[in-house]
Amino acid sequence: MSTPLKKPRPVIEIRDLVKCFRGEAALSGVSVSIPRGSIVGLLGANGAGKTTLLRHMIGHALPDSGTCLTLGCRAEALTATELARIGMVHQEEQLVEWMTVRQCIAYVRVHYPTWNDALADALRKKFELEPGKRIAALSTGQRQRLMILLAVAFEPELLILDEPAAALDPIARADFLDMLLDMIQTRTRTIIISSHILSDVEKIIDRTLILDRGHVAYNGSFEDLQEAFCKVRLKRLDRPLPEASPFADTLSWKGDANSASGMVALPPEKQIAAVESRLGCSIERTGLSLDELYRCVLDRREEMADEKAE
Amino acid sequence: MLLDINATSGVPIYRQVLEQLRRGIVSGQLAPGEQLTSVRDLAAELRVNPMTVSKAYSLLELDGLVERRRGIGLFVAGLRERVKEAARRELMQELFRQAASSACQLDMKEEEAVALLREWYRHFSSGRKA
Repeated sequence: MSTPLKKPRPVIEIRDLVKCFRGEAALSGVSVSIPRGSIVGLLGANGAGKTTLLRHMIGHALPDSGTCLTLGCRAEALTATELARIGMVHQEEQLVEWMTVRQCIAYVRVHYPTWNDALADALRKKFELEPGKRIAALSTGQRQRLMILLAVAFEPELLILDEPAAALDPIARADFLDMLLDMIQTRTRTIIISSHILSDVEKIIDRTLILDRGHVAYNGSFEDLQEAFCKVRLKRLDRPLPEASPFADTLSWKGDANSASGMVALPPEKQIAAVESRLGCSIERTGLSLDELYRCVLDRREEMADEKAE
Repeated sequence: MLLDINATSGVPIYRQVLEQLRRGIVSGQLAPGEQLTSVRDLAAELRVNPMTVSKAYSLLELDGLVERRRGIGLFVAGLRERVKEAARRELMQELFRQAASSACQLDMKEEEAVALLREWYRHFSSGRKA
């Protein structure tokens, strides 16, 4: 495999995107680019702007200012040709209630030249969707599975998933993530997945985009995020440890007589060794889950905002 | 060689792949000249993103532990003693660090600690020679 000399164009390029709803900023100057082939976990609290951002990517929302290029095209001017390369599962589902599952699949199928019947069939069986059942009679979880089927069966280059697994039970969620993994094995695809069930997406993402009240709090590789913070545990058997954290960049800290632990910005090896010999303790370092990393990023922002205010 | 990946351990997956392969190569479990599983195959097997495997492989290449044969794939390099030495040191560093720290905290004398390590060393090395 040879690496191309020229960097391929990002799938999504967003510059200074501002969007207000009734005078309130939902997105305040968001700039983000998403490289081809990445699997992005989009995280943020309710109201952070996740759905608004995703809607801009497919031209469902128009920016007040700034631009969004999707597949190299201004999102508001995407034509049927580009849209046929983008799959989307969103929260405002729009299925035709009187249709049966079979009819619904046939109805959507005609819009996509790349529709893969074998894949659609396999997913329908895996998701246990009866072809003769009316949409109106489907449960919330079944509707969501059908939406997923419709969004992936034409093998889109870009897949945008807004809380796709929210209504799924744990087993269906695992199946769904498995399906996403299968999708990325065979061909280069870009997947953007917003979720508040962080333990799910942690297994498949390679980039993280964290929004905080309309601002980008973090945008980068998931690995870099994993290597930005860590948990340290100090143990000393013979003498008590000092109460305060010995690390300059500490987010949280607690301790008792012989052990202490906390979340810190990953210190260099040398610093760990220096603390070890100074305090005569052993230090164990462990990685953080996405959930904990997410909180670290937001805490850090909070701190910085406080410092500015002072 | 079987890799064991824990996706929720907090350790980046590429690092887990990298460390385990490094260990395999330095220990000789992966012999010089042996071909690494392709990026696609290993990613499918481990159920991870192919880019993750590709990153681990590039770092191994940078280490000089594997070499790329154009159009064929990656092969375990015939290791120069110096490279092997460095990788081996890095692997052992952490284990000795923990052992030394505990020994200090328990007030064990230096000679006693070294003697104990030697005892274990001989325990295993005699088994290897036999």
